[in-house]
Amino acid sequence: MINLAGRDVGNHLGRYVLTGVGLGLLIGVTLTMAGVYRGMVDDAKVLLRAVHADVWVVQQDTLGPFAEPSSLQDDVYRSLLGLPGVAEAGNVAYLTMQVKHDGKDMRVMIAGYTPGSLGGPAFLVAGRPIAQSHYEAVADVKTGLAVGDRIRIRRHEFAVVGLTRRMVSSGGDPMVFIPLKDAQEAQFLKDNESIVNDRQRLAVNPAVNRPGQPGVLQAVEAIQTASHRVNAVLVRVREGFDARQVADHIQRWKHLTAYTTSDMEDVLVAKLIATAAKQIALFLVILAIVSAAIVAFIIYTMTMGKIKEIAVLKLIGTRDRTIAAMILQEALGLGVIGFFVGKFAATLWVPVFPKHVLLETTDAVAAFAITLVICSLASVLAIRAALNIDPAEAISG
Amino acid sequence: MVDPMPPQRPAILIENLTKRYGSGPTAVDALKGVDMQIFPGEVVGLIGPSGSGKTTLLKCLGAVIEPTSGRFTLAGDVIYDNAWKRKDLRALRRDRIGFVFQAPYLIPFLNATDNVALLPMLAGVDNAVARKTAVDMLTALDVQHRAHARVSELSGGEQQRVAIARALANKPPIILADEPTAPLDSERALGVVRILHRLAHEFQTAIIVVTHDEKIIPTFKRIYQIRDGRTYEEAGEGREV
Ligand SMILES: Nc1ncnc2c1ncn2[C@@H]1O[C@H](COP(=O)(O)OP(=O)(O)OP(=O)(O)O)[C@@H](O)[C@H]1O
Ligand SMILES: [Mg+2]
Repeated sequence: MINLAGRDVGNHLGRYVLTGVGLGLLIGVTLTMAGVYRGMVDDAKVLLRAVHADVWVVQQDTLGPFAEPSSLQDDVYRSLLGLPGVAEAGNVAYLTMQVKHDGKDMRVMIAGYTPGSLGGPAFLVAGRPIAQSHYEAVADVKTGLAVGDRIRIRRHEFAVVGLTRRMVSSGGDPMVFIPLKDAQEAQFLKDNESIVNDRQRLAVNPAVNRPGQPGVLQAVEAIQTASHRVNAVLVRVREGFDARQVADHIQRWKHLTAYTTSDMEDVLVAKLIATAAKQIALFLVILAIVSAAIVAFIIYTMTMGKIKEIAVLKLIGTRDRTIAAMILQEALGLGVIGFFVGKFAATLWVPVFPKHVLLETTDAVAAFAITLVICSLASVLAIRAALNIDPAEAISG
Repeated sequence: MVDPMPPQRPAILIENLTKRYGSGPTAVDALKGVDMQIFPGEVVGLIGPSGSGKTTLLKCLGAVIEPTSGRFTLAGDVIYDNAWKRKDLRALRRDRIGFVFQAPYLIPFLNATDNVALLPMLAGVDNAVARKTAVDMLTALDVQHRAHARVSELSGGEQQRVAIARALANKPPIILADEPTAPLDSERALGVVRILHRLAHEFQTAIIVVTHDEKIIPTFKRIYQIRDGRTYEEAGEGREV
């Protein structure tokens, strides 16, 4: 038996392939959407893994530091070091802000950490780690910065001494690592006007500004302007201890909330990007429905264009099965062309996206299966119509 | 060419066949009682004014539409007796009936050979064997030189000859031809009729040819006139083509 679908397609190959390409672009968009979601999840996880902490300690009853604000006293880490199972503890401060480079603003996530302790970049692709306790920075390559560049964060200039990669916030902003003290200053430092304002208020407060005791005013001013707060304390667990147990222990004794890395992953994926994920999921569903409708429409139109031929095929004794197979194969063929075009298109345009887009093979395999299922379902309408064609249509006159 | 005496059993035997389209006041009685018999190897003309029921009769015989009442048998097998007596009408059409229409209705996405070979293939014949049969048929109809052409590249006469080859491909005992020469000039029309006569003789096929064509009517030995849904048998000239 001849493959009727193959012959029919071969007869107007150009049109068929073009249709497949059109469908492919749609599938490409779908794959990209899925990739955007995977990229978001991946960014969140990469950030957590790269930080190399086993336990994240944050302000009590918060989902901090990324999903909710969290503020801790910066000496908390000392008391954590005394707990069993804690090998290392380091303060970190995170803030998303605009920094200036070459007169241009760029949006980054500043990560402040104590050089030499936890919370720094996992690895460098250029330059060296931060060595001084002030005004040095390590930036993600996505910032476009190079070693030796100077950036302005608030009132201070920082020298970029090293570059790292794949360190972005869950919002997609590239990270810039700086010493903790600088980050604290950038985060909690008041601007000049409010400092002046506060000073004046203190100066006229008789409880603080006592005659003959000038030192009291100065001490209070110093407390108000200096910052001693951080967003989280990262903990590395001693060999042989379980992160879960250490986290529970910290939580029980220290009036803090402690997450293991996998808890944090859940927080980021389930809470922080949950809405975005729903948005994307809905978009994917709509795309799937639109694709299905388009395939159904195309296949239906293609079939209706062959009414005479199908009537003749029936007249000369072709089985319904054979006719249905022809239509189904043409539909699946469109799906296959569409899938590969879509995959190719997605690979082409993904690098242009500003955020990390992760095209996973498992997603592609699933998309392929779904495409084939959609094409099969979409051909049902056309097959039904074809089977209803009266062979008498072939004889007119 | 002298036809042998018709054998005893007719290839087609139609008794009091009727066909009513629709129902109620708008019903059309297209066939009101048709009686015909055609023997193997015979080519019979079916003529009549427009709307007299010629195409309707061919559709009934071809098991494409269901008659309303009456009876017909093909080579002694009762096909219809006030109801279908066969379940698989599509297989019946495939194996026992060849159709030739006014428009050739070839499958445009198959070349000439495969249009013809499709029939034996549908009957389960191996592709290579089916194609060989097809080429033989195309050769018999003198279009073998166009065997690999696409349908759109064939002339009207060539298409019609390929369509006849297709009708013959499964060597059906019956061929139903509905104005097969209408789109052809008289030279080619006579050519097609000559082929039909020759094939009828060669394969003992019973052929009904519906026609308006004054040039080919004299070639039939027997003619059925159809008027107002009823048939009247006439002797034809049986002129040599
Ligand atoms: N599907 C149909 N439904 C209703 N009436 C029909 C249908 N097909 C044919 N008829 C009617 O049945 C009658 C016979 O039609 P038929 O097509 O058999 O005529 P014909 O002899 O082939 O005519 P022509 O020479 O014009 O082809 C006509 O009156 C026609 O209008
Ligand atoms: Mg007619």
